[in-house]
Amino acid sequence: MGGIAELGISVPTLVTQVVTFIILLVVLRFVAYKPFMRLLDERSRRVRESLEQAEAVKAESARAEEEIRKRLEQTGREEQERIARAAQAAEEIRRSAQAEARREADAIISRARVEIQRERDEAIAELRRQFADLTILAAEKVIERSLDRETHRELIEKVLEESTASGKQE
Amino acid sequence: MAEQKRRGCLGCSFPVLVAVFIVALAVFAVGFLAGPLGKSIVGDVGLPSWLSVPAPEPHLPAPVPFHIYRLPVTNTILAGWITVIFLILISWLISRRLKLVPGRLQAAFEFILGWIYDFCRNVAGEEYGRKFFPVVCTIFLFVAFNAWLSLIPGFGAIMLGHHELLRGANTDINTPLAIALVSFVFVEYYGLKTLGIKYLRKFINVSGFFRAVGDVVRGNIKKGLLGLFSGFVDFFVGLLETLSEFIRIVSFTFRLFGNMTAGEILVMVAAFLIPMAIGWAVYGLELFIGFIQALVFSGLTLAFASMAVSSQHGEEH
Repeated sequence: MGGIAELGISVPTLVTQVVTFIILLVVLRFVAYKPFMRLLDERSRRVRESLEQAEAVKAESARAEEEIRKRLEQTGREEQERIARAAQAAEEIRRSAQAEARREADAIISRARVEIQRERDEAIAELRRQFADLTILAAEKVIERSLDRETHRELIEKVLEESTASGKQE
Repeated sequence: MAEQKRRGCLGCSFPVLVAVFIVALAVFAVGFLAGPLGKSIVGDVGLPSWLSVPAPEPHLPAPVPFHIYRLPVTNTILAGWITVIFLILISWLISRRLKLVPGRLQAAFEFILGWIYDFCRNVAGEEYGRKFFPVVCTIFLFVAFNAWLSLIPGFGAIMLGHHELLRGANTDINTPLAIALVSFVFVEYYGLKTLGIKYLRKFINVSGFFRAVGDVVRGNIKKGLLGLFSGFVDFFVGLLETLSEFIRIVSFTFRLFGNMTAGEILVMVAAFLIPMAIGWAVYGLELFIGFIQALVFSGLTLAFASMAVSSQHGEEH
């Protein structure tokens, strides 16, 4: 019995130390380990969250970039279409303007022609009338007497008519 | 600036270094001459007697300075309480305001706990590491700080009556034994909790034996006899397992107790033989040994616990 007592094993001290250790364990659990674990979890949660966020932002930006690229492409295409349409419209306008101008010119020309024709006819008629008068005057002078103006005019008209007809036949 | 830096050595300029070296040498010489070692070699040179240290008289049972009611409070219990109060106070002060971005003190706190936590997870895996961590960490802190507390200069010099008021808690066999018992209960508790009644099969393994008896009764003599033999071996192995479980308590206890007591005696002997001179080297050694013992105690507890929760598992698969 002396051997083990020599080492100093005593039940009260042993129990006290066990209790001391358990008190330390329990108190540290509340004072150190739980806050520490919470902190670790919180930190890893934060890290995970920020990583996820970064991932999401990356994906979002990629999507936005894609969107912008697509939209730019589309806009480019639309712009080109619009330009083509405008060019086509311009061409049409040019063509219609040309046609209009030509039509107008034609109208002017034909109107001018009609006018010319009419003036020429009038001039011919006038000339003929004067020529008849001159002829009657000349004939009066030749036969020294006055003829019945009206009867002779008809006669001359008739002659002229015949001569014109014969001239036209030639 | 760079020029100045290059001329220095060990953070001091050369004259300071030389002075320090001379003082150290003088202290060593005086210590050597004042101590019994120098006296027996050189002879007494008439140095004052207060320089020499009385010869150590180690005694293993811890003295009892006073009682609280009828509980004898040994000086080792007192030292243990100081360690406990210190640890709790420090943890409380730090964890009162934990921040996600730690300050210096919190970083140190987190470093120690995080290191032990990683250790637990590496040995026992993610799930059990988390469960074992509190006990393992408490064992580590209690053992380490008990060891380091008793290294504070003047720690053993406070006298109350005829006894020292404080003595390293680990140098009283009751403390290592107490921790070993906690460790034992902890390991067996987790073994039982995780594996249930199957855990006990490791210790009382008679199924093979009974199967063999059945074979013999049914007339399958040859197979039965072989089975009887292997059943007997199984049973014996179970007995050994049981025994080793209890031997762990003893080895835990004496490993820590022996190391710490030897360390304390070594410090005293060093101070006795050559006063003032080589104590610091032994102090460095003791700091290291305190750390190692704490690591061994907590590490073995951790290893036994993870064996207890997984051993049957491993055999089944």
